[in-house]
Amino acid sequence: MSESDVIDYEIENNEAKMGIISTKNLSKIYNPDTIPVHALRNVNLDFEVGEFTTVKGPSGSGKTTLLNMIGGLDKPTEGSVEIDGIQITGMKESKLIDFRLQNIGFVFQSYNLIPVFTAYENVSFIMLLQKRPKKEMEMRAKELLEAVGLKDKYHSRPKELSGGEQQRVAVARALASQPKFILADEPTANLDTKSAMNLLDMMEKMNREENVTFIFSSHDQRVIDRAKRVITMVDGAIESDETR
Amino acid sequence: MYLKLAWRNIWRNKRRTLITVSSIMFAVVCALFIESLERGGHNQMINNMTNFHTGHIQIQDERYEEEPSLDNSIEYDSSFSERILEIDDRIYNVVPRIESFMLAAGEEQSRPAMVLGIDPEAENRLNELKNRIVAGRFFEPGDGSVVMGEGLASRLNVAVGDSLVLLGQGRFGMTASGIYEISGLFRHPLREFNNQIVYLSIPDAQWLFSMEGMITNILITPDQLKYNDPIAENLERALSDENLNILTWNEMIPELIDAIEFDRMSTRVFMGILYVVIGFGIFGTILMMTLERLREFGILLSVGMYRWKLAVIVFIETFFISILGIISGFALGLVVLSYFYFNPIQLTGDMLEMLEEMGFEPTLPMAIAPDIFMWQGSVIFVMSIIICLYPTVKIATMDILEASRS
Ligand SMILES: Nc1ncnc2c1ncn2[C@@H]1O[C@H](COP(=O)(O)OP(=O)(O)OP(=O)(O)O)[C@@H](O)[C@H]1O
Ligand SMILES: [Mg+2]
Repeated sequence: MSESDVIDYEIENNEAKMGIISTKNLSKIYNPDTIPVHALRNVNLDFEVGEFTTVKGPSGSGKTTLLNMIGGLDKPTEGSVEIDGIQITGMKESKLIDFRLQNIGFVFQSYNLIPVFTAYENVSFIMLLQKRPKKEMEMRAKELLEAVGLKDKYHSRPKELSGGEQQRVAVARALASQPKFILADEPTANLDTKSAMNLLDMMEKMNREENVTFIFSSHDQRVIDRAKRVITMVDGAIESDETR
Repeated sequence: MYLKLAWRNIWRNKRRTLITVSSIMFAVVCALFIESLERGGHNQMINNMTNFHTGHIQIQDERYEEEPSLDNSIEYDSSFSERILEIDDRIYNVVPRIESFMLAAGEEQSRPAMVLGIDPEAENRLNELKNRIVAGRFFEPGDGSVVMGEGLASRLNVAVGDSLVLLGQGRFGMTASGIYEISGLFRHPLREFNNQIVYLSIPDAQWLFSMEGMITNILITPDQLKYNDPIAENLERALSDENLNILTWNEMIPELIDAIEFDRMSTRVFMGILYVVIGFGIFGTILMMTLERLREFGILLSVGMYRWKLAVIVFIETFFISILGIISGFALGLVVLSYFYFNPIQLTGDMLEMLEEMGFEPTLPMAIAPDIFMWQGSVIFVMSIIICLYPTVKIATMDILEASRS
């Protein structure tokens, strides 16, 4: 880092609004040495707390890659990701894990849960990782499961739950850590219409009532229809970014 | 909750856990069995050698080891035995002997024989010779009769009640010859002994070899094997100025000890191969487990678990499985070994002939010793720990997204 970079960094830091994710010239090239795949091309996006956003686009357009970058699960080839003015690109892994634990919740497409834990344990485990007091952990896990409509399934294991119920447990788990952002990669991909609608209703309600931020990737029209902001990607680049 | 995670994962795929546990168990039982059988066989060889041939400790004239001849005998009477017993109270038995080679002849045939002048009581305490009599009876000291190996008797075509002629050289080149009645035949499972030995009493042997008041060696048995060397040292000290030589069994049968050592080496090699085969089997199941759970590992890492914590948990899982395998292997091994210890394997048919040819007995005794368990247990333990490190290393180095792609 040169001296001017440091100054820039500090200025940005001061200017940074709390609760903002921004990507700067984000590019990702897979297999740069063999058959290079440009999964992301120079992406510049800002996400704010309280958003309910869907990233859409055809298969292979880079949606998953983008979400992984934002969540710090993958490293960009160029550019950077900042959350609240803190650059997570290039952060040491153990620090990044802590950072993710406090700031970002994940809901993946499927098989999200720890198979040997019950719904209740899956939700409380993440709070255990955050070292929260036991009392609070128990109360919050129960509250959240109730909120996602699984009051009578506390002690069911994932394999005893339907796909929709599993996704709802995953959402409850993502909420448990009280993150600023919840990243959900195709959360409805494996769900029938009724379950998908239920899940979306629930997430919408959380967004409305508790200002929880959701960023989805999806090519599911049901999800796109509900979004307040729709970002369209084509071939790794942002084609459009509309707020309704 | 971490332990809960580990514990439930162990029992998540019960079949795989059972396969892993039982392959480790099988390895342990196999290793214990082979090692015990081998140890038992070696102990038996050594016992045969010491009980029938050399004794555990031997006192000889100082020239006898160089030149095992009747000329290098020692003076002996029963007071000498008592004196030896007084030197160390851990001595169980003192067995005087005269040993020589002669020609033994029946009416038609003659054969070389190992002729042993013995004290029947002391000898019997050493090797239960009297229980091995299969025809006739044991002689009384000085009654001019002999007991011989059944094999030698049939080669000479003689039976109980027949006469046996012994021809050879006595002390200082005197001619030694005598004719004896055969009072009994003994059977020893080792051909070496069965086909060679003729026993007669010490007074008769002294007369035959013209060596009144002399014997060639004294065999000494300790109360317990572990007292052997201390007793030898005490004897050495107490008898230091009597021109005697004190030898322990391992000094007397170096060839056998070398052979046993060689045998052990080849068993080690075989066991090494067995370990590798079983090790790969266990590695296979662990590898499968790891690959199946990559996605789960990825999720745990992405929701905020540290790699080292996850690695420790998975290590505990696999470690527990190994321990379970080893403990159950010990338990089953102990049962199997005890069974064969009390009911030794009896060989029959071709196998028997082959082994007898090689100088083995038809029963295969087992040895049960704690150090076998310790040694085999730790080898397999270390092996499984190394195998169990695989998932740990995988977790430490894996890419969080690796599993979601596959
Ligand atoms: N690990 C990887 N190695 C090589 N290429 C990759 C890798 N991951 C993704 N890609 C490629 O990068 C591009 C973008 O992939 P990405 O998974 O982000 O698309 P997507 O928009 O999520 O698609 P879908 O809708 O099918 O999930 C694709 O062409 C894909 O083949
Ligand atoms: Mg995708």
